[in-house]
Amino acid sequence: MLAYDFKWSILWQDPYGGWILDGIATTIKLGVLCCFFSLLIGVIIGTFRITHYKPLRVFAEAYTEIFRDIPLLVQLFFWYFAIPTLFPENIRVWVYQEIPNFEFWVVVVGLSLYSSSRMAEQIRAGINSISADQFNAALSTGFSHYQAYRYVILPLAVRLVIPPLTTEILTVFKNTALAMTVGVLETTFMSQQVEAYTFHGLEATTAACVIYMIITLVVVGTMGWIEKILAVPGLITRKGARL
Amino acid sequence: MIEIVNVSKWYGDIKVLDNVNETIKKGQVVVICGPSGSGKSTLLKTLNGLEPFQEGDIQVDGISFSDPKTDFMKLRQKMGMVFQRFELYPHMKVIENITIAPVKVLKQDKSRANKKAMALLERVGIPEQADKYPGNLSGGQQQRVAIARALAMEPDIMLFDEPTSALDPEMIKEVLDVMVDLAKSGMTMAVVTHEMGFAKEVADEIIFMDEGRIIERGTDKSFFENPKSERAKDFLRKILI
Amino acid sequence: MNFEWQVITHNFTFLMGGLVTTFELALIAIAGGLALGILVGMARLSNIKAIYYPATLFVNLMRTQPLILVIFWFYFFMPLVLGRPIGDFMSASIAFIIFEASYFAEIMRAGIQSISKGQVEAAYSTGFTYWQTMRYFIIPQALRNMLPSLITQGVVVFQDTSLAYVIGLREFLRSANVVDAREMRSVELYLFVGLVYFMVCFSMSRVCKRMELKKGNA
Repeated sequence: MLAYDFKWSILWQDPYGGWILDGIATTIKLGVLCCFFSLLIGVIIGTFRITHYKPLRVFAEAYTEIFRDIPLLVQLFFWYFAIPTLFPENIRVWVYQEIPNFEFWVVVVGLSLYSSSRMAEQIRAGINSISADQFNAALSTGFSHYQAYRYVILPLAVRLVIPPLTTEILTVFKNTALAMTVGVLETTFMSQQVEAYTFHGLEATTAACVIYMIITLVVVGTMGWIEKILAVPGLITRKGARL
Repeated sequence: MIEIVNVSKWYGDIKVLDNVNETIKKGQVVVICGPSGSGKSTLLKTLNGLEPFQEGDIQVDGISFSDPKTDFMKLRQKMGMVFQRFELYPHMKVIENITIAPVKVLKQDKSRANKKAMALLERVGIPEQADKYPGNLSGGQQQRVAIARALAMEPDIMLFDEPTSALDPEMIKEVLDVMVDLAKSGMTMAVVTHEMGFAKEVADEIIFMDEGRIIERGTDKSFFENPKSERAKDFLRKILI
Repeated sequence: MNFEWQVITHNFTFLMGGLVTTFELALIAIAGGLALGILVGMARLSNIKAIYYPATLFVNLMRTQPLILVIFWFYFFMPLVLGRPIGDFMSASIAFIIFEASYFAEIMRAGIQSISKGQVEAAYSTGFTYWQTMRYFIIPQALRNMLPSLITQGVVVFQDTSLAYVIGLREFLRSANVVDAREMRSVELYLFVGLVYFMVCFSMSRVCKRMELKKGNA
């Protein structure tokens, strides 16, 4: 093994420790924002995919397929490098100069759209797993379509969809790491920044690994807590349950 | 009370209901039987508007389905339905399953709805299950709750779609007893079932369907003892042993 | 808004060179990932604690990490282990094989577990041994069941190779990026990259869908 002196203390030395903490804050901000937007858009696209109205359904299917078959990094590059060149000169100048953290918001747009197609897929699968007769039963007691969705279908769908949604939320947080390629100062970027200044790449990168592990534990723990609150005795929502 | 006139229905190219005609009078119990895929469940679901149809007309208490002004929501308030897989709402307690429709649709106040729900649970024999969740009940208990849920809206007509087919044998009797009791109290019922014992006891008319058509109909005696069509004979032989 | 698509035709060989690297990396990652994945998958099914726990730890650890970070980690780690600097393609290959193996392992574990116990019991009761049962009944059925998931994961690996960008590997995306820096024709170039990826991944997903349909009818 090559002689290498491990120097873990760089991680909490000034200014490196501060950089890493800033990076964590950015990762969390990015993750939370993208989860919020992608869930919002995902619910809309998910409903489009099961609607009877063909144009909306086809649009939603095309939407899902496009975002799924192109790598996220390519999509981010497209938003960051390509789209601004389409703006006329003065708008482009304004965008680069007047919007603080332009690259941050580009990633929010790109990652939210990408993740929304994945969220939509899980939501669609969740709603589809509810038997048609459950809806019929609600209608047969005199509920309107709206009431059937509000009191029966949606409360059920939310509970069914939480486990797969947990995985998708984790994926969003992991994907925030790609933001480093366009200059967003998040965790991975900062770990490499520390490496550039100290040449202790292994320690810095390992620190970032530990940070993502902790983020995972927090997300899984939070979603598990939500699942517990909503749980109903006798209702199995993990894979394999028939409803 | 229910008039079915020349009703036909297609799923794509497949004709699932073929020129069905039938009259169900008030207080009558009609049993619909036949092999799988004969269209029995589909016919039942057309009666409360859950399944649309392309040809013909259905009239319930004079209200015609082909009238564009027909409010199906209001119609379904007067028709109760019980499903093969019970379809209780799993995220609500038993008592909430029963009271939610009267409270949200009929705007009854909660305490009155609760009282009526408890009375219905007594009637079907399981008042002690009121605060449990459907996941903790046996199949037979769930189906009886489903019947109570349908009765909570005080319907004039009750529709049953193979209510005992998903039950373990020892629980079938408890559900059939509730249905017999309901029939004897004068409820108008349309029941899709293979339970010929039930049919013999309370049915006023038995309809045998195959491939979307009504092949034969009769009062219980004439059907069981002397079925006229080959298909009916064959079917009875297979299920009655 | 005038597009100059010649930027693609003029640099076509260069871009295709990048695409070849992408395919090479993907193939190595898939082959290596499958090989390592089978071992880890079976380890996850083992009753021996010394085999089960490390495998489970490995799989769960990989699931918490962004691939981009794993690529960096091996980029720093491999020279230490080997005692000498290592090329970007080699370092990326190792990172990919190890990372993707954890995902392949889970697919295979699920595939083997999905064969119902009834099948195993039926085989035993007709007199087959453990290895015969595995060879003639379990593994063929499991493979047929997991093939769509394996192909889907293969598509994911193919897309993931774009991440090797960060250590400078001259794969397809990086090649387009290099041309963009020179010619400033971002829209045309990245649309082209997106289109190529889309065509490959979309056709593979159609293959999967057809397989699933056939499986449903079997």
